[in-house]
Amino acid sequence: MVHLTRRSMLRGSLALAAAKTVGVPYVARAAATTATVWFAQGFVQDEDVALRKAVADYEKQSGNKIELSIIPFAPERQKIISALTSGVVPDMVDSNPGEILQLYGWQDRWVDVSDVVETQKSQFSETALLAAQAYNNVTKKRATYGVPLRAAVVPCHIWKSLVKKAGMKIEDIPKTWDAYFDFFKKVQDNLRKQGERKVYGLGFQVTANGVDPYNLFMAFLVAHGGQDIVTKDGKLHLDDPKVKEAAIKSAAYLGGAYRDGYVPPSAINWNDADDNNAFHAKLMVMDVDGTLSTEVAIKEKHPEWYYDEIVTHGAPGYPNDNAGKPIPSIVGYTNGLIPKGAKNVTVAKEFLKYFIQPKVIGEFVELGLGRWLPVMPSLAKSPFWQNPKDPHLKGYVQQGLLGPTRPDYYVFNLAMAEVRSQHVWSMAMIDVAKEGVKAEAAIEKAFKRIGEIFAKYPMA
Amino acid sequence: MDTTSVVEIGRPSVPRETVWRSLRGHLKGTEYTWALAFVVPYVAVFLTFVAYPVVYGLWMGSEAGLYRELFDDPIYQKTVVNTVLYLAFGVNVKMFLALLLSGFFMRPGWWMKALLLIFVLPWAVPQISTFISIHWMLNGEWGFLNNVLYTLFHVEGPHWLNDRWTALAAVIVSHIWKWTPFWTLILLAGRMAIPLDIRDTAKVDGATGLRGFVHITFPLLANLYLICTLLSTIFLLGDFNAVYFVSGGGPANTTHVLATLGIRNAFEIAQPRLGVAAVMSALPLVIPLVIVLMRKLRTAEVQL
Repeated sequence: MVHLTRRSMLRGSLALAAAKTVGVPYVARAAATTATVWFAQGFVQDEDVALRKAVADYEKQSGNKIELSIIPFAPERQKIISALTSGVVPDMVDSNPGEILQLYGWQDRWVDVSDVVETQKSQFSETALLAAQAYNNVTKKRATYGVPLRAAVVPCHIWKSLVKKAGMKIEDIPKTWDAYFDFFKKVQDNLRKQGERKVYGLGFQVTANGVDPYNLFMAFLVAHGGQDIVTKDGKLHLDDPKVKEAAIKSAAYLGGAYRDGYVPPSAINWNDADDNNAFHAKLMVMDVDGTLSTEVAIKEKHPEWYYDEIVTHGAPGYPNDNAGKPIPSIVGYTNGLIPKGAKNVTVAKEFLKYFIQPKVIGEFVELGLGRWLPVMPSLAKSPFWQNPKDPHLKGYVQQGLLGPTRPDYYVFNLAMAEVRSQHVWSMAMIDVAKEGVKAEAAIEKAFKRIGEIFAKYPMA
Repeated sequence: MDTTSVVEIGRPSVPRETVWRSLRGHLKGTEYTWALAFVVPYVAVFLTFVAYPVVYGLWMGSEAGLYRELFDDPIYQKTVVNTVLYLAFGVNVKMFLALLLSGFFMRPGWWMKALLLIFVLPWAVPQISTFISIHWMLNGEWGFLNNVLYTLFHVEGPHWLNDRWTALAAVIVSHIWKWTPFWTLILLAGRMAIPLDIRDTAKVDGATGLRGFVHITFPLLANLYLICTLLSTIFLLGDFNAVYFVSGGGPANTTHVLATLGIRNAFEIAQPRLGVAAVMSALPLVIPLVIVLMRKLRTAEVQL
């Protein structure tokens, strides 16, 4: 029997240490060509297939290795926050949630990627370039920390068949904001007269879960003239009468529609996917929801719904404001981010440079069925996006890339990201919808809270 | 006589010898090395996966400012009330039902065993899918419950998850439904461990039925019942699934408990320290519970 002695243990330890000195350089050399990448799982499988293809093409071309993890949306978000908290980070992540770029940019946690963006700078939309920046509270400067990969806006999804059933025509949908949404109240009234007990006109997310309610409220705020709530310099303008009036009108319309029975009652407890499910179940005639996930989710299983029964925006396209002027849509972006402390910044940057080549990134969004928009206007002119037989893509790309756009407000001031995550607008909508509070009082309360949140993020 | 020199000479060698002996115990030669080889992996695992996370968590939630921010948050105040209600009703109703049902399942007969098998199903099936099912069942517009009410009685049921109190009640009932079978089995095992001769003697003395339960069964089960209640309270304080999947903390963040609020703060608001602080704020309740539990587990009296 071999006895384990103190000496034999010491010998073993020395042998291990010696082996490490030989082995570690090999591992380090291997790591030099390998980058770890995390990306959120797609709503449809085609999105993941498109991403895997782009990665495989890059690996083939470069000889480098990408260790790709495709993770469901919510767990990926938790993984990213956990990684940044612990300091053990991957080489590249997508910005999930979108505001994470600004959130951790504030803390100086991202690698500057302006050199990557520079390679395609002339191709990107201005809004995309703006949204790739964040204010760094350590250096007291703005810098480019994100590489724009794809984009999304909040379109209107409509059951054409339900409009028809109500004895109305999709061509009759008015072009101005309030009238546009009022149209669906009439659709509901008509359907109720026909005995439809459980169909609602409007799918407003009057809830305090997820990102949908913030996006919905912001779309209404901008449509009602409140676009200057935060200016490019990061300053908050709650004292601007136009902003206040727009906020009150938005809370009154959204909360009022719920209170008056034009929104499914369960909307008050919806999470981000629930309105999609409710729309597919024909619980409401129309839904205002980010990306084309509503449409692409049913494209394969129900092509007749996709091509004949559902329409994006309807005949007038994305509605104008009440005065008839086009409204800029707020665009959210998925950016590629490299955390500080990443082991292989070089490969991560190389991969991103490859990924944002117009041909590669154009194919990436198109293979994903067009749930996400491209970030380069030139790509919007492809036959895929301009297909006249498709009732969704052309209107979607017009709204989010070719028409007037602006980045979300947390790009200008991080505080707006907390306004979003704290669901300040949601509480105002719910106060009006459920508690019987007047819109003026609900907005007064919301403005007070927003002021407190902005005070936490002073900018030089 | 100068005694100082004697003490000084003896001092360095005696403690070192004592410490060395106490470390080695009665182990000699390679036995000690082997013992070390077995202990070191366990200690390493313990330090890495138990001590480090706890210390890291305490460090993350150690700033006083976090608690000021937390206590000022109206959602936190509601969360504390919800947590207390969840504990009070969730634990006590469940344990009382489990106590009664464990008596019921002591009855003889093959059909009782079959019934027990069906009864434990809620506990045996995966939590998340069942809680999601309950969430859908309670949907106000097209949920199973309201559809049944409408089909049978032409009554429009309430929107169960749209009101704080009905949503919280739904969470508590779901928890009780899920976990009562487990605690019933534990108490059933406790009842079965009561020696037959004690019960037979009691019967001879006329202690049958309720009297038997009050004077024989319950006193013998009391310690087990208390330990189960304490354990259940500790488990429930960290329970995330029932709230997250049944009510989602809604409507309007009014049904969160500390565990779900911690996750919300950490990952939805992206403030991990605030999330840890929310969970840490339960420590003043958890620590006394653990101390009482440890004491009860050391009870030397003859109790089940």
